[in-house]
Amino acid sequence: MKKKTKWESFWKENIGFVFVIPWLIGFLVFKAYPFLSSLYYSFTDYNLFSGISKFTFDNYVNVFKNPAEIKSLTTTFKYAFMTVPLKLVFALFIAYILNFKIRGVNLFRTAYYIPSILGGSVAIAVLWKALFNDDGLIRMFFANFGIDAPHFLSDPSWALFMICLLRVWQFGSAMVIFLAALKGVPQDLYEAASIDGAGKWKQFFSITIPLISPVIFYNLVTQLVQAFQEFNGPYIITKGGPLGSTTLMSLLIYNNAFTAYQMGKASAQAWVLFIILMFFTILAFWSQNHWVYYADDDGR
Amino acid sequence: MKKHLVTLLSAFLAASALAGCGSSSADTTPAASTEPETTVETAAEPADAAAYENCTLKFDWWGGDSRHEATLAAIAAFEEAYPGITIETNYGAWSDWETAKAAEYISGNNPDVQQTNFDWIGKYDKGGNTYLDLNTVSDVLDLSQWSATELETCSDENGGIAGLPVSITGRTFYWDKTTFDAAGIDTPKTLEDLLAAGPVFQEKLGDNYYPLVIGEYDRAILMAFYLQAKTGKPILAEDNTLTVTEADLQEGFEFIKSLEDAHAIPTEQYILGEGADSMDKSSRFINGEYAGIFEWDSSPKKYLSALEGTGNELVVGNVFPELQSYQKVSLMFSISAKTAHPKEAALFLNFLLNEKDGIEIMGTERGVPSSKVAFSTLDSEGAIDWATSEAHNAVLDSNPIYWNPLFDNSALKGDSPALYTDLFDQYSYGMITSEQAAAQLYAGYQSVLASN
Repeated sequence: MKKKTKWESFWKENIGFVFVIPWLIGFLVFKAYPFLSSLYYSFTDYNLFSGISKFTFDNYVNVFKNPAEIKSLTTTFKYAFMTVPLKLVFALFIAYILNFKIRGVNLFRTAYYIPSILGGSVAIAVLWKALFNDDGLIRMFFANFGIDAPHFLSDPSWALFMICLLRVWQFGSAMVIFLAALKGVPQDLYEAASIDGAGKWKQFFSITIPLISPVIFYNLVTQLVQAFQEFNGPYIITKGGPLGSTTLMSLLIYNNAFTAYQMGKASAQAWVLFIILMFFTILAFWSQNHWVYYADDDGR
Repeated sequence: MKKHLVTLLSAFLAASALAGCGSSSADTTPAASTEPETTVETAAEPADAAAYENCTLKFDWWGGDSRHEATLAAIAAFEEAYPGITIETNYGAWSDWETAKAAEYISGNNPDVQQTNFDWIGKYDKGGNTYLDLNTVSDVLDLSQWSATELETCSDENGGIAGLPVSITGRTFYWDKTTFDAAGIDTPKTLEDLLAAGPVFQEKLGDNYYPLVIGEYDRAILMAFYLQAKTGKPILAEDNTLTVTEADLQEGFEFIKSLEDAHAIPTEQYILGEGADSMDKSSRFINGEYAGIFEWDSSPKKYLSALEGTGNELVVGNVFPELQSYQKVSLMFSISAKTAHPKEAALFLNFLLNEKDGIEIMGTERGVPSSKVAFSTLDSEGAIDWATSEAHNAVLDSNPIYWNPLFDNSALKGDSPALYTDLFDQYSYGMITSEQAAAQLYAGYQSVLASN
């Protein structure tokens, strides 16, 4: 039998890397390089056209000092902490109902999922705008009953809520994942609990919630990340207005980078957003030790 | 055999690559026989147009459909007149256009010929390395069709001509005469008329009818006109100084508020509540609820199109005597400093701006042309549409003064965070006082002037 040369052995052992190279190039060029260069730029006053004239920490200081940036940060928190719980609760509630054996359940499941198929599109944001603007269908509907409905998109106290509502309405994906998890809860646990006299609420909180907690955790993390990165809704529907009430951080970053060309400032804001997101993700992972039940790992 | 095949393929590929580069002097095609006819007043016949190289030029512009159609037709006529020169086009709407162009300037991929904005000289041509100095191609591009002042206005920091002003523009009022007739009053001729029209509209037509609608940037311009009438000077002077005080700006904000209070204009909340992307797409404007706009003299066509079929008649108004207008270059055509074919690019521009065929096809799609020959050609043929012509005359009659491009600096104009949007919104919503708004705008102007 012919003995393998050193080169052949090396090739055989490392062939996998060759297949990974296209991805690796993509990662290095389109992810790692922009990621690291934005970190560098965040410590400069980099303007897209006049370049860098000095190194500074001002960009970071301003995020917590400049009123417009503080407001945007606060708005982003409000948006995330309104959207994520509402969406999770709503998705779980609908999934729970659709888990019952009722007539036409498949039709309902499809109907509730449809907004998620359409949801991320620009067209839906435009539709939302047409529905809720001052001359839109919703206000017209209320006007028929003599009710002067709020100015949903031009009143700063309502606009953010309307943007949240658009995201909450797209609960289908989270609902489908919850539904799959609910299907996996063993029926005998419910039967045993019924025999022991546990009511529906008790069963829900003591059986259903613990057993689907890994899925709740998964949905929480993904929805949190999505919420902090939200851009389409405010950009298309309100352009960040009125009075900056829907200027989320992602929109502020976009405006600074691509309309004011303040790349240094935008990079610092992006890094602050990244750190905040990282903090909440780590917090979520840390907290799972206290509330997420994994059946294959001593229940934790 | 295999070696020969590889050699052959390599040669083929190299030849293809070179062919893609475009021209060679060996391909020179005399164009004299296909030169378009020129009129007597056309002093625009390029002296050295007979010899040019075959090549492909990239050209881009922004605008609406009618502008696209006219420009494409002019390009087809040019390609017929100058066989061997091909124009590759890229065009679209203004929305996000500048963002895409900014990226091209950074990467150095801007096309050979481009429709440009006046303030782009300051923004993207620092050092004068982005746009070609058009003096260098004056042998084929007839610069004598513009006044020395116009050309000087478009000069870069080295004194080179960075772009040719296609048209000069200013703002005036346009009125929906049908709505004014319904209210039983004449269209406003003075500020006083406008203020008086507000209560009449409210009483006779309803709360949702306004004689005029102006957004944040319109308010900034109207306020500048108002203050310029008081001082007699451009709000931002040519030497980059601010000619108004904080107290003047406060008075300016209060003037805008007085229009809201008199029901002459709607509040910002009312305007934003409709969510229209632009006023020509506003159903309130189309159905006559907003009976006036304050717009550039180069853009009445889109408003006329919006009112088509509604039965509402749009008329051009004068600039009120209580206001001092300004005029600016509406847009330019520039040639890239990096183009490999400056002469051919100049021939193309000369065709669009100074040659009869190009002039006639382009018409007033970019406003009333600044080129003398273009203006006289269109004027003699009655080809300047009545609205553009009337609006242009209204602006000229108002004796417009100098306009500093820093007025449109991105820290001031644009989506929030930009001062005009933020301050006029906050003030209209009642979140800040006129004093606070004036202080912030004053600081904003000072900051922009200091950093340029």
